[in-house]
Parts: sequence; C-alpha cells; structure tokens
Amino acid sequence: MFEPLYLWLESSAFSIWMRESPSMFAFPGILAAHTVGLAFIAGLSAALDLRVLGVARGVPPAALTRFLPYMWFGLWVNIVSGLAVLMAYPTKALTNPVFYLKLGLIAAGLVMLKPLLRWARGGSNDASATTRLLAACSLAAWAAAIAAGRLLAYTCNRLTVDSPC
Amino acid sequence: MVPFQLALERFFQDFPNVAALMETAWGWPILECIHFIGLTLLFGSIAAWDLRLLGVAREVPIIAFHRLVPYAVAGFAINAASGMFFLMTTPNQYIYNPAFHLKMLCVGIAGANVLVFYLTIFRGIARLGPGARGPAFARFSGLASLVLWSIVIVCGRMITFYRPEVCQPGDPVGFVATCIVR
Repeated sequence: MFEPLYLWLESSAFSIWMRESPSMFAFPGILAAHTVGLAFIAGLSAALDLRVLGVARGVPPAALTRFLPYMWFGLWVNIVSGLAVLMAYPTKALTNPVFYLKLGLIAAGLVMLKPLLRWARGGSNDASATTRLLAACSLAAWAAAIAAGRLLAYTCNRLTVDSPC
Repeated sequence: MVPFQLALERFFQDFPNVAALMETAWGWPILECIHFIGLTLLFGSIAAWDLRLLGVAREVPIIAFHRLVPYAVAGFAINAASGMFFLMTTPNQYIYNPAFHLKMLCVGIAGANVLVFYLTIFRGIARLGPGARGPAFARFSGLASLVLWSIVIVCGRMITFYRPEVCQPGDPVGFVATCIVR
C-alpha cells in the first residue's frame, strides 16, 4: 500500500547520499549526532526524574527548568538527525513494528515530561506518590525507547523496496 | 604500541564463555542496550553538574548538584563493565580501531579532569553558596567534561564504521550497508 511512498523516498537524492556517501560526516556522523542528542534529552530527563524521586533534595525543583533549553537542543538534534537516518532506509524503518514502538515510547516520555515540569515549577520540595510514580515511568519509558532504538539494528523485515534484510 | 596491542588482544581472547554468550541471538543486542542506557545515565547526571559549574541554575549552590555525581559514576561503571563484554568477544575489532583509540584517550582525559578537579578546587567549591560563580578552572573543567563525554559518545558510535577488515571507510560500494546492516 505504501510501496510508492517508500520507492519515492528511497530514490530521492538525499536518501541515496545517506546510503552511499563514503564521507564520515554523512550517515556515520549523523548517527553519532543522534546519540549525543539522545544523551541530552534522555539524560537530563533522567536527572529531573531522579530529583522527583528524592535525589539531590538540596536542588530546588524549579531550578531544574534551567536545563530545558539543553533538553530541547537534544530533542531537535534528534528530530533532524532521526529524519535523516529514516530517509537513508525508509522501507527498513517503516515496515518494522519496533520503529513504531520506539516512536510511541518517545512520545510517552515527552508527554510525561509535561506534568513533571509542572510539579518542578510548583515550588514544593517533595513530590507526591503519584508524581514519583510518574517519574519512575518516565525513566522506564526513556530506557525502553533507547533499547528499542538500539534493537532497530537487529530487527527488520525489508531493507529497501526491492531487497529483503 | 604493537606488542602492547598484541598482549591486549591475547588477554581479551581468553574468555570463550563470555564470547559464546555474546554470540547467542540476544547476547550482543542486550549488552548494547545496557551500554546505551548507561551512557545516558552517565551523560545526563554529569551534564547537570557540568552545566551548574558553567553557571546554569546559578541560584542553587553548586554543591547541591553533587548528589547527582554518584549516578554518573554508576553509569560509568555500567559502561565499563558492559564494554568489557564487547572487548572479550571481538578484541581485534577494538584494539586496532582508531575510533576506539580516540574514545579511550578521551575517557582517560575526562578521568584526569575529574581527578584534578577533586584534588584542587572541589573543597573550595563545596563551601560556595547560592549565586556563586566559582573559579575559572571550575568553568573550564565543566566545559571540558561536557565536550570530552560528547566526543566519547561520537567515537563510540564511530567504532562500527572503522572496524578493521569489516568496514572500509572511503569504500563507496555499499559502505553503510556493510557496516550497519548485516
């Protein structure tokens, strides 16, 4: 059903460049940037989650919102680099259920970030049991998203429109 | 250098049980997942500390963020341990890999940075209150840590593309496919 879309994406000049360029700044460099971006968004989210769970109680929760620009930096690096890596092998990602699992877990992590930030801005030093549970789920969602992303290298149904894995 | 590399290779080849475990269907992928989660824990915790050294969230005393450092150490321990599994499975893919060399060099410099930081300015910084800027070396050390750990991540990711005799950088024929896709 989506064959024409995959074929169109795969035959674009950018997609071909991503797959075939021998430059270390092409696919390898962009994939490396994706990992650094992950470290910023998921890593600093984890620091916020740890604070909610009671680590570093000397840090006022509102101060953690100062890290937001660095988290958004990581997120944007990963949206852009992720789209570039997706363009390299669109059929491989889009026909793999693990890819959608990864996107769902990232969405879950971002959705949970919202109430956690609201708590941080709220001025209370101790989090309720519900907020703590949310922080634990946030940690689990980011860890699972990372694992799902890593497993994309080992799971696939089709490599390109006309070649199996 | 070469005798040292040979000795390392011989040492890491001596773990056939680990290699057998890693070569099962789930061995390598699971260890990779652990290694990536470890890197996130390490980087996120140390980035919060480094950013405070650089002046972000200045209204908080620097020392308040120090409680996050043990989590960075935990992330490092997870990754040092999981990294050994890769080395024990295919030692020659790392020991002769330029990306791995640069990665280990940066880990070493980052470690030296931590050591110098604790031996020199840590005591002084621990006494600073809210709004304090800290000495210039604190800012340098925080920036160096962020940059070094970022390079470590980049080099780690690049190891795949410099695997000796598996992946030839500069070979335009299916370069990415031979390195990444089995």
